[in-house]
Amino acid sequence: MSEVFTQQIEQFAADAKAKTSQPRKGETFVEVDQAKVREFISRLVNEAHVVHLSTMTGLDLDQNLGIIYHFTYGPGWVQVKTFVPKTAPTTKSIVDIIPGAILYEMEIHDMFGVTFEGNPWIDKKLLLPDNWPADLPPPLLKTSKPADIRKRLQLEAPHK
Amino acid sequence: MSNDQGKPTRREAPAGLIQYSVENLVPFGPIHPALKEPEYFKLVLEGERIVEVIPRIGYVHRGLEKAAEMRPWMQNMYMFERTCGICSFVHSLCYGQAVEGLTLFQTPRRAKYIRLIIAELERIHSHLLWVGLMGHWAGFDTLFMWVWNDREVVLDIVEAISGNRVHKSMNAFCGVRRDMPENMEDRTVERMKYIADRARFYREIIDTEETMLERTEHAGNKVSQETVEKLCAVGPMARYVGLRNDVRLNDPYAAYDEVPFDIVTRNEGDVLALLRLRLDEMVVSANLVSYAVKHLPDGPFRVLIPPVIPAGEHSSHCEAPRGEIFYYVKSGGDRIPERVKSRQPTMANLPTALEILKGQTLADIPVVLTAIDPCFGCMDRMSFLDTETNKQWTWSGEQLRQYGIRYYFPERFKK
Repeated sequence: MSEVFTQQIEQFAADAKAKTSQPRKGETFVEVDQAKVREFISRLVNEAHVVHLSTMTGLDLDQNLGIIYHFTYGPGWVQVKTFVPKTAPTTKSIVDIIPGAILYEMEIHDMFGVTFEGNPWIDKKLLLPDNWPADLPPPLLKTSKPADIRKRLQLEAPHK
Repeated sequence: MSNDQGKPTRREAPAGLIQYSVENLVPFGPIHPALKEPEYFKLVLEGERIVEVIPRIGYVHRGLEKAAEMRPWMQNMYMFERTCGICSFVHSLCYGQAVEGLTLFQTPRRAKYIRLIIAELERIHSHLLWVGLMGHWAGFDTLFMWVWNDREVVLDIVEAISGNRVHKSMNAFCGVRRDMPENMEDRTVERMKYIADRARFYREIIDTEETMLERTEHAGNKVSQETVEKLCAVGPMARYVGLRNDVRLNDPYAAYDEVPFDIVTRNEGDVLALLRLRLDEMVVSANLVSYAVKHLPDGPFRVLIPPVIPAGEHSSHCEAPRGEIFYYVKSGGDRIPERVKSRQPTMANLPTALEILKGQTLADIPVVLTAIDPCFGCMDRMSFLDTETNKQWTWSGEQLRQYGIRYYFPERFKK
């Protein structure tokens, strides 16, 4: 069952000209180009019926921001990785394909500043405080330091 | 979750003021008697009926993921255990498994069984806590008191095994920190039999007692299997509409591939179904603990691994009492992680919760919202920290660590 799935997913990846690797048994890692990630996920959901999105992870890589979509099906994983340039952190939302992604996209928007086009709640804050200054870099970027955040939000250090 | 494009813009109340807008936007929270933890829901009402719910979480956000990027691998395990005050063990288990996946060391079988025992005891205690709360919100406080009394039985066993009631601090990489005490078998089996009997008794009460039936039967907007699947619900929230969604069965971890068990699913899709499902799950968990204690293998319970974790990335998921919990770790081959991502079950279940609140009356919110077993502190990744205790002295984290090392390994400091 799982081998059929893996072959099918590799076929989708080949169609999207994506790199695949299998770090361990049952886990398929796919690196898809940002422009094709929506199409790839749409085929994954509608044709292979891999519908459970565990979560989405944001990553701060040097030049780019990475987004990983962690899909699970039974005993296996499909991890779809894509890259967004830091200079223009915008990508397409997948909320219309998987409605459950709405809060994960909002979280990445709060924490990494990636805008998801098509997410109806993307302009709302989910985790950050309402008084978060617009010019302060998103907190999970490597350049963002907790001391600076505390200073700007006028919070006192927890331990002296 | 419809989008609000095309509708007239809502007039938001300025901070500090509560103002009912033209569209009957009612604030629910952040501080509300029906919520144990601060969370805010904007409710769009039509008369008494809820039309739409917009969540605003993050009131107890403490930035654990950022903090994890500044601490050594092992210290992170203690920190992530403090994500939640109820399902603490499973967080460290899942984080530990994600890190173990990056190394070449194998976890001993005995440690896997001990992990299973603690994880199942934690599930029973979490479910008991929740059944009590449901009784409280349904106006049946006798149930609440009985159930929380029985919860002490479970907590006593947890304390006997790990030395702690809530934060078990049992996990280490590739093993557990303490072995199972001797002569625990008979005691545990006897207590588990008691818990299973009580769970069956509560099940009988819930099936016959008018108060509970009136309050919980048909409560919650009924949603189809397809909707729940697409909203990526996890745990009991997926199983109560008939989906066989359980990590223990689908992707076995710890010793779940060696023990016989079956998961519980129901088809009704209302709050009563969730109550029955969780009570039945407690019986399954009690049997699992009894089986694991009787078949506990001999051998070592821990493998010591070096503090530097090889470079790579790995994901891990476990079945917490509330559903699938997920950890992703990325290592650059250093003593501290490059990135740790954690996702708690309440975050995954929130879209479904918003869906089942639709069409309900305002008065049903406590029952329906409690039914998903929300743990907002978990979701926001809070660690409970009281800085205003009347202590005369304080310790830094490093001092505490040194104390721990001296306590557990006194021979290292003998002259």
